Amino acid sequence: MAGGYVGKFLRVNLTEGSWSDFTLDDDTLERFIGGSCLAAKLFLDQYPLDADPLSPENPLMIMTGPMVGSGFPGTSRFSVCARSPQTGIWAESACGGTFGPDLKRAGYDGVVIEGRSQGPVTLTIDDSGVRISDASSLWGRDIYEVTDELKALDKSVKVLAIGPAGENLARIAAIGNDKGHFSGRAGLGAVMGSKNLKAVVVRGTSAKAAKADDAGFKLAMKAAMQEIKDSALAEGLHMMGSDANMDLGMVTGDVPVKNWTSGGEFDLASNLSGPTMREKYLTKAHACTNCPIACKRVVKVDGGPFATEEGPGPEYETCAVFGTMLMNPDLTAVIKANELCNRYGMDTISCGSAVALAMELYEKGEITKDRLGGLDLSWGNMDAVLELVRQTAYREGFGDILADGAVHAARRLGGSAMDAVVHVKGLEAPMHDPRGFHGMGLAYMMSNRGACHLQHFVLATEQGMASWPQLFDMKDDYEGTTSVGKAMLVYNSENYGILANSLSICHYVAYSIRPETLRDAFNAITGFGFDFAGLLSTGMRDWTLKRGFNNLLGISKKDDILPKRIMTALEEGGAAGSVPDTDLLLKEYYALRGLDERGFPKEDVLVRLGLNELKERLYR
Amino acid sequence: MPIKAMTQEWMDAYKAAIQADPEYKGLAKDWEGSVSLVVNPDPAKNVPEPIYLFMDYWHGDVGDFVVCDKEKADSAKFVMTGDYARWKQVAYKELDATKALLQGKLKMKGDLPYVVRNIKTVNKVIDILGRVDTLWPDDDHK
Repeated sequence: MAGGYVGKFLRVNLTEGSWSDFTLDDDTLERFIGGSCLAAKLFLDQYPLDADPLSPENPLMIMTGPMVGSGFPGTSRFSVCARSPQTGIWAESACGGTFGPDLKRAGYDGVVIEGRSQGPVTLTIDDSGVRISDASSLWGRDIYEVTDELKALDKSVKVLAIGPAGENLARIAAIGNDKGHFSGRAGLGAVMGSKNLKAVVVRGTSAKAAKADDAGFKLAMKAAMQEIKDSALAEGLHMMGSDANMDLGMVTGDVPVKNWTSGGEFDLASNLSGPTMREKYLTKAHACTNCPIACKRVVKVDGGPFATEEGPGPEYETCAVFGTMLMNPDLTAVIKANELCNRYGMDTISCGSAVALAMELYEKGEITKDRLGGLDLSWGNMDAVLELVRQTAYREGFGDILADGAVHAARRLGGSAMDAVVHVKGLEAPMHDPRGFHGMGLAYMMSNRGACHLQHFVLATEQGMASWPQLFDMKDDYEGTTSVGKAMLVYNSENYGILANSLSICHYVAYSIRPETLRDAFNAITGFGFDFAGLLSTGMRDWTLKRGFNNLLGISKKDDILPKRIMTALEEGGAAGSVPDTDLLLKEYYALRGLDERGFPKEDVLVRLGLNELKERLYR
Repeated sequence: MPIKAMTQEWMDAYKAAIQADPEYKGLAKDWEGSVSLVVNPDPAKNVPEPIYLFMDYWHGDVGDFVVCDKEKADSAKFVMTGDYARWKQVAYKELDATKALLQGKLKMKGDLPYVVRNIKTVNKVIDILGRVDTLWPDDDHK
């Protein structure tokens, strides 16, 4: 058997209360690796694509990859996958933390959860086996409370849990791992909630995946540790977390302001930045399992209206969406909003984006105070925002409209609402403005889960955090506000970056180490013997597989678009006067990807990638 | 008339250009501390020895701008080191300094969060550097 795998997957049927193990052959593992790629393969092979995402027929998959548990930096990760209840297409959301390595030590490379339990349950997987237990006493409680209670019985367990948002089937619900790590995007918490599955608890100590080449792995490991030690990016992430981007991004036009309508708010950004968080509220840096970077923030706000206990702090995305996007200059209010979203189990990007939409419509008079139950949603009024966040998680009042995300909310609200939502394929864009970085715009258009900055490495390559000319033809320095040459950059950055979610390695670690080091570690673990071309080809297969999944669900060229707001230039800031040339970007990209006029992968591309079954389904 | 790069005359011209910039003083009003640039030798490009440059910045004013020895360079609050070719790329804006730092093409000793917080000031002094009419060691000598 290939190295890096413990060799077993678990299939649980919550309707029947049963479970069984299954295995996959080495050829399948070598071609689809693990994580979200392997999940997409299993989904296409075994499950109906068109089932209601909140029905028992939609499987919820929790998949690790072959590097997980190896001890290599940044490999604690796992991907949660299903058909999204928010977008209706492929959903995957990778998560760091602690869960992945323990799942493998408990003897499983992944778990597929089918059906729906009659009442609330927890699923426990440990050295002694699998158990489904009543969770009635946990239902209704937030993620922090549930995690604490489950760990009170055994502090060594690792917990995946949903909060009230998932229970209430909010289509922006997230899944939390040990409070500070989230599979946030595309509503996978609602899928878990639809199964009446409150938590998955793992504790593993005995199983271990063999490595194909221990000596080779040690060499790669040593190289990785030195490269991370030498990396200014890793140093910056350790010192300032991902929110280091706030100051830098405001200069380059990366940071969205006032629901994507403004730019150049340097003082606002400075109040919300990584250095400010470090100076005022950081109590310590925290690391996922086996990560020397420790980018995660632990923060505490003493006193004031937004006081919080010591706990997980916000990422850059959250600081932008509950900060600059809402014209809120108070970082303590962002920290509080982050805590609430964590506790309720909601994706901060989707939640904050939906709130930003509501604030804009309130300013325009399209939503009245009466409709908001008396809330004054003026820009920056964070007391009202926090109340709206609570209502959203519980589907109370106006929150019921926001609970399904900004696109669903805009459809219900009408008027100018849809023009005020920045999304692709139903998923709100993360906090990186394509007007400042046109390649990111193309990446949003073509990402298989909707607008996304984590299905590829475009953030790193286009913004200059990393340069890998040995891997593919690229420059050290790209101008953000041009579309020329970006299709090739995006294409290659996707083919490499998408592997992060199948190998299951953190983006920040992958940005900080040489591709040679990652390749060598991967080969030493698995024994697959990939060269760079093989890695990129595997990434191409991964992307094409998920594209085909979405094509079967009706996605085509008409959906590969940027929203009106992004195609409207800003008057100030680093991206002033700039919009992506989407015609150029798509024309070049479609040719590189081998997509036909409909936006389907061409038959010869599918054959070359060995996706013959997908070809039969797309072309029959 | 171009000035030979990384000489005292060139440092004086750079200092004068910063002082003459209408935006610099306001942007740099919060900046405290000296910066040194260390240029690694590259004999093939007519840089046979390392070059050390020391620049003192304080709340929008500029103090000593000198070609110095290693000891003085090391005393700066921020020490940035890189190969000659990289520095030239930065001066010509072929390579953004922040990107060079993140990619490991330049190294920095000093308070990184401070630099991030003051990134507009950093970008401004690099922008001004590009305006100094410069004859680089590997340029064709006239």
